[in-house]
Amino acid sequence: MKKLVLLLVAVAMILPLTLSSCGGGGEKLYLFNWIYYIPDDVLEDFTKETGIEVVVDSYASNEEMYNKVVAGGAGYDIVVPSGDYVSIMIAGSLLEPIDKSRLKNFGNIDPAAIARIGFDVGNTHSVPYMMGAAGVSINTTKVSGYEHSWSIFDRPDLQGRMTMLDDMREVLGAALKSLGYSVNDADPAHLEEARLVVERWKPNLVKFDAEAFAKSFAAGEFWVVQGYAENVFLEYPEDRRAEVDFFFPKEGMPMYMDSLCILKGAKNVDQAYEFIDYILRPDVAARIADYLMLPSPNVPARALMQVQPNYEFTDLANGEFKEDLGQETLKLYNDAWRRIRVGN
Amino acid sequence: MKRRPSFSRAVFATTIVFLSMPLLVLVLYSFNESKSGSWTGFSLRWYAQLFLDSPRLWRAFGNSAIVALSSALVATVIGTLGAIAVNWYRFPLRKYLRTITFLPMILPEIIIGVSLLIFFSGIGLRLSLFTVFVAHVSFNLPFVFLLVLARLEEFDASIIEAARDLGASEAQTLVRVIIPVSMPGIVSGFLTAVTLSLEDFVITFFVTGPGATTLPLYVYSAIRFGVSPVINALSVVMIVGTIILTWSSRNVLKYIAAK
Amino acid sequence: MTRLPGTAKTPGGLYAAPSLVWLSVFFLAPLAIIVAYSFLTPGALGGVEWSPTLDAYRAIANPTFGKVTVNTIIVAMGATAITMLIAIPCGYYMARSEHQNILLMLVMIPFWTNFLIRIYAWIAILGNEGFLNDLLLSLGLVDQSVRFLYNRGAVMLVLVYTYLPYAILPLYSTIDKFDFSLLEAARDLGASKMSAINRVLLPNIRGGVLTAFLFTFIPIFGAYAVPLLVGGTESYMLGNLIADELTKSRDWPLASAISMVITLVTTLGVLLLLRANGTSVLGGDDHEAAEPAGEADALGAAR
Repeated sequence: MKKLVLLLVAVAMILPLTLSSCGGGGEKLYLFNWIYYIPDDVLEDFTKETGIEVVVDSYASNEEMYNKVVAGGAGYDIVVPSGDYVSIMIAGSLLEPIDKSRLKNFGNIDPAAIARIGFDVGNTHSVPYMMGAAGVSINTTKVSGYEHSWSIFDRPDLQGRMTMLDDMREVLGAALKSLGYSVNDADPAHLEEARLVVERWKPNLVKFDAEAFAKSFAAGEFWVVQGYAENVFLEYPEDRRAEVDFFFPKEGMPMYMDSLCILKGAKNVDQAYEFIDYILRPDVAARIADYLMLPSPNVPARALMQVQPNYEFTDLANGEFKEDLGQETLKLYNDAWRRIRVGN
Repeated sequence: MKRRPSFSRAVFATTIVFLSMPLLVLVLYSFNESKSGSWTGFSLRWYAQLFLDSPRLWRAFGNSAIVALSSALVATVIGTLGAIAVNWYRFPLRKYLRTITFLPMILPEIIIGVSLLIFFSGIGLRLSLFTVFVAHVSFNLPFVFLLVLARLEEFDASIIEAARDLGASEAQTLVRVIIPVSMPGIVSGFLTAVTLSLEDFVITFFVTGPGATTLPLYVYSAIRFGVSPVINALSVVMIVGTIILTWSSRNVLKYIAAK
Repeated sequence: MTRLPGTAKTPGGLYAAPSLVWLSVFFLAPLAIIVAYSFLTPGALGGVEWSPTLDAYRAIANPTFGKVTVNTIIVAMGATAITMLIAIPCGYYMARSEHQNILLMLVMIPFWTNFLIRIYAWIAILGNEGFLNDLLLSLGLVDQSVRFLYNRGAVMLVLVYTYLPYAILPLYSTIDKFDFSLLEAARDLGASKMSAINRVLLPNIRGGVLTAFLFTFIPIFGAYAVPLLVGGTESYMLGNLIADELTKSRDWPLASAISMVITLVTTLGVLLLLRANGTSVLGGDDHEAAEPAGEADALGAAR
């Protein structure tokens, strides 16, 4: 009996150890990415072509990925941060510089998109993967007579039927844009104005939600939600998609650019370059864009796309990339956001 | 004669219904044809997808099962021994032990996760399923410890002394007297540990390494994109599997006992 | 209570060693990191800079923290009270049953499916277009959907649901060893059922009640995901605050400091509670006069 227990304990302790260290030889690449951001068959084809096995783990937000990397949780070769986090990670020396001469497909990326990048001018440490923005989705069977504007959140008749993202930059960015300011505005007075706008919207909102809003929108519970098109359309019944009006407010909106970056200390740098270049190939980029139903920043890929994206590249004209705010301004944003979330 | 506890039975029955309600929804959705919340018709497509085309989900499930069972087992053994020691024996650091055992319950999960990660990377321990296991044992330990201790606290040391007076060795006392007396606490502790381990995603997120994704991590990273009903199907399979396993192991144990 | 001395023949230290070693290495060391961090300057990009300061503790004086704390206490107290009221009869019933293991599995198995999936199921039940409203509407009990979700009530309901099993288990395993003939004797002496339970049963299962309380109150106090998913615009709890300070504001010292304050206050509260109850649930006992000092020492050691 005693021996049995001891044996079981020994097995229990050894099992996690052995399992984590096993998994044969061969070339590997460790990718830390947003979930569902690269179709599995693209990864499989990459392995078939190159013999490099891709091990993928996923995260749900830049903050999670970043904190894990900062606290020492490396072990990955490639991460896919959004623009503001690219600049934070460059400043923190967490990224390897990118040698563009090793990426023969880099030229495929739309120069118009690159020109708008402020977070990594010249793309010294990042390679654009996908760009897009959160917009507003409206259930047109329930709501009518609205403008394509942030002012929709001012409508008290929709009280209890609207949500905004639980995301400081997106919500304050929306308010700043509605006032005609930059989404990266550092002026405390402007920020205070923006806070008051959000406080004005808040009584009309059910909640700030970045997780479950799309499900409840699809169920008809929420009628107006701020969020990403891909989240909303993945949940909405396919045959009733025409009911949804997804738009970017005319005042403009915060925009993101997710980029492929090589982590400092990555062990499989050659494989990482091979992978990034593979992703930049027009046929591969087109498959990814088709899968995500997003416009591709890869110019030759656009002609190869077979699926109508949720919005066009040109729809993003009003958008502005979120940049890192710097510690002082970030604190202002945090204070404003905390006051909104906690209530005064 | 035993009095029939009618009030408590009514509360218990209601509670089981309350606890199982989400499960019913889950079962229903796992057979729903469409992905969205509304019922569109019976379908087995999510089960088909689960069994034919979800290798990554199964890997995550496998990781979760390994970590849950092994961490619960280790925590149960260590925690039970600790509770026995604290309840019946005098030894150095006794008060220290009983104070630190409930600290892991109090610290917020995210703080435990980050601090463990800093610690692991500080001592150069490579992140893997093993670090997840270590973290899970750490947060499971207090629950097992306190559950067993709550069970033991009213038992007097005289039962041990009595066993010794009858000539039992230390090991015999442990196996024949102490452990049987603690059993309901040990079983509760083990079940609690398995459950906690299967649920955790905050701490796990920080201490896991490449390729060691657990089920909650997989689901959590997916929530913004709408959790696929495949996960509902997996949950149903898992519950049915657990019930069959428990039931058959009971019968096996009974068979052994009868021999 | 007598306690056996730790001699070579009585392996108290041997039994305790694994817990001592495990917790000291894998828990105290990381805890020490957090304590140290709470006294450091936040790094510009997250992490910390190695210059000591009390800024983080000063920042806690901010009134918004007080407001969140009050909100958290209200929710945690309410949810814990409801949980206990349900859990005690459940534990009682299980302890008296002849099929204890089956009942145990009945309580725990619903919890072996993913947490988030179960919360989503609750959203599907309680939503405006959800099952419960469908039922109420079809029965004609209401003529318009009732908003169950996205308020404090919903947060409490789901918290009760989440922590109920953790409260039932310790109660069950303590009540199980209670000598029910005492209860019957009290009844025979003319006590009503309620007063027999109040005067005879409850005092004898104090350990289980306290453990159940700890297992419920403490995790609810740090709850994070539940208020996020089923709460409304005002349902923001300390757990959310800490997570936001750590991840979004990248202020690790502040997050550490808030955690330190919570840990200290909760620890002290728990110790006082145990002391007042004279229970030995945490191995404390009534006969050791130097108890409070001993606790303080142990806490000091923990720091």
